[in-house]
Amino acid sequence: MNDTFSISRFGLLLRKTVLERAMQIIGAMVAILAFTLILYSLFLYALDWGPAQNLSFIWGFVGGGVVLSTVVFSYFTTNAGGAAYLTLPASALEKWLCGVLICGLLFCAIFLSFFRLMDYTFVTAYHNRLDRNSPLYRALYDHVYLYMFEDNNVVVKATILYTSFVGAMMVGTLYFNRVALVKTALVVCGMLATIYFLNLGIVSLLFHNVDVAFPYFTVLLKVDSEVGNIELPHYAYGIANNFLQYVLPGILWLTAYIRLREKEI
Amino acid sequence: MIQLNNLSFGYSSKKLLYKDLNLNIQDGSIYGLLGKNGAGKSTLLKNMVGTLFPVEGSLLVNGMVPKSRKPSFLQTIYYIAEDVYVPALTIKQYQNLFAPFYPMFDGNSFYKYLNELEVSIDGKLNKLSFGQQKKFVIAFALACNTRVLLMDEPTNGLDIPSKAQFRKLIASVMNDDRIIIISTHQIRDLENMIDNIIIVDDGTLLLHASVADIAEKLCFKTVSEIPPGARVLYSEKMLRGTAVVMENAGEEDSALNLEQLFNGVTENPAMAKQIFSTN
Repeated sequence: MNDTFSISRFGLLLRKTVLERAMQIIGAMVAILAFTLILYSLFLYALDWGPAQNLSFIWGFVGGGVVLSTVVFSYFTTNAGGAAYLTLPASALEKWLCGVLICGLLFCAIFLSFFRLMDYTFVTAYHNRLDRNSPLYRALYDHVYLYMFEDNNVVVKATILYTSFVGAMMVGTLYFNRVALVKTALVVCGMLATIYFLNLGIVSLLFHNVDVAFPYFTVLLKVDSEVGNIELPHYAYGIANNFLQYVLPGILWLTAYIRLREKEI
Repeated sequence: MIQLNNLSFGYSSKKLLYKDLNLNIQDGSIYGLLGKNGAGKSTLLKNMVGTLFPVEGSLLVNGMVPKSRKPSFLQTIYYIAEDVYVPALTIKQYQNLFAPFYPMFDGNSFYKYLNELEVSIDGKLNKLSFGQQKKFVIAFALACNTRVLLMDEPTNGLDIPSKAQFRKLIASVMNDDRIIIISTHQIRDLENMIDNIIIVDDGTLLLHASVADIAEKLCFKTVSEIPPGARVLYSEKMLRGTAVVMENAGEEDSALNLEQLFNGVTENPAMAKQIFSTN
């Protein structure tokens, strides 16, 4: 018997994981999609197309991913639930892959499909409502297009946030048995605040008149009304970017696997 | 066979609950794991199933290391925790989702056990009472036909007829390849069911003996006066005299009283050790 990975056992595990808590997983998914739709509508009503598309995408994708990731390993709220999960005859790799598949691939596929459909419906309705004979038709038509997933800096940044926060939440649900979402959020906020102030402290030691110092990306110096931007050297920016894009999420997602292997209850 | 060699375990590395514990548990026996609340019974079972890891020493279950929680190991062991976890599924759905993980699972036996334990098979499991849920989990665990079955306080929440039915079921599923360990502080629930007794207290193994060995070495009776010179492990004033547990010097036959044995061993561990001279 292969104790590391078996495709048939993995299939059974995935089926069991989804159907065992179908209401929780499907309910969370529906709530996330509904939340995204409401955000899109509200921002569109209150602001404009750009903010509506960007903000609803960021909140729906990142927030939804985080919420769903608290569900996939949420067996440890009771001793019996945790024991039943850990002693189920499947390997730690299979259990971890199951979580990764649900809040990584399945969530992304469903969310992106839904977002595209929602965006298409809104944008098409807007375009169809325009008066083709109006002299402003072209300008109004060009004011909004379908939200682009490729070559879109907001999507790239949202993906970085998604992979990091979902990874952190998976680790958090395996460390904190109860109220994992709140506890993990507090830890993440604490770490971000520490990094921010540490970065600000270091920058203040090196420069005077520091206006803003955001870790990795931005240091602004302000002298009277003049604002100057200190940029990282290209190679250093590349390193920082790669760390945030690949290394940090990779570490967090792998930590979830290691934690699952070592989990005691 | 379950082998514990110099096993140490503690929730904090500074304060160990078990230190250098040695224990051999043989196939083909039903073990009663007895101890007070907080004595470390559940901890020992969790070490055996691999949901807690020893700090030092080794623990082998049928030659496999529980800590690694390999599927090939987990298919051979079933652990019933003290509290119950059942998802919002019907019994049929639960069987369809969980039984395929256990190659020896027997569907016919499962429904037979459910019937014998009088578990309602309609509706969702999470809507059943605690006792019904517990009986369902016991039936499923028995139907999995694993070589090792660990039960933590299985009779908690069971009504009196169900406890009797539980004892019958356990006796009926026992075979020479199987190990069943039942941890409880409700000692009377195990009477006439177990053939080996393990008593732990404060992380120490106080007694590990077979029922036959205990009957040979100890005598349980009620006397009007304690015989002079007798090595009395435990005595308790009763309405019609004094109930005593004493060394069986004259090869007397007597009925084992688990409660008195437990009280005697936990109150007088040094004498128990002398009498049994084990571990």
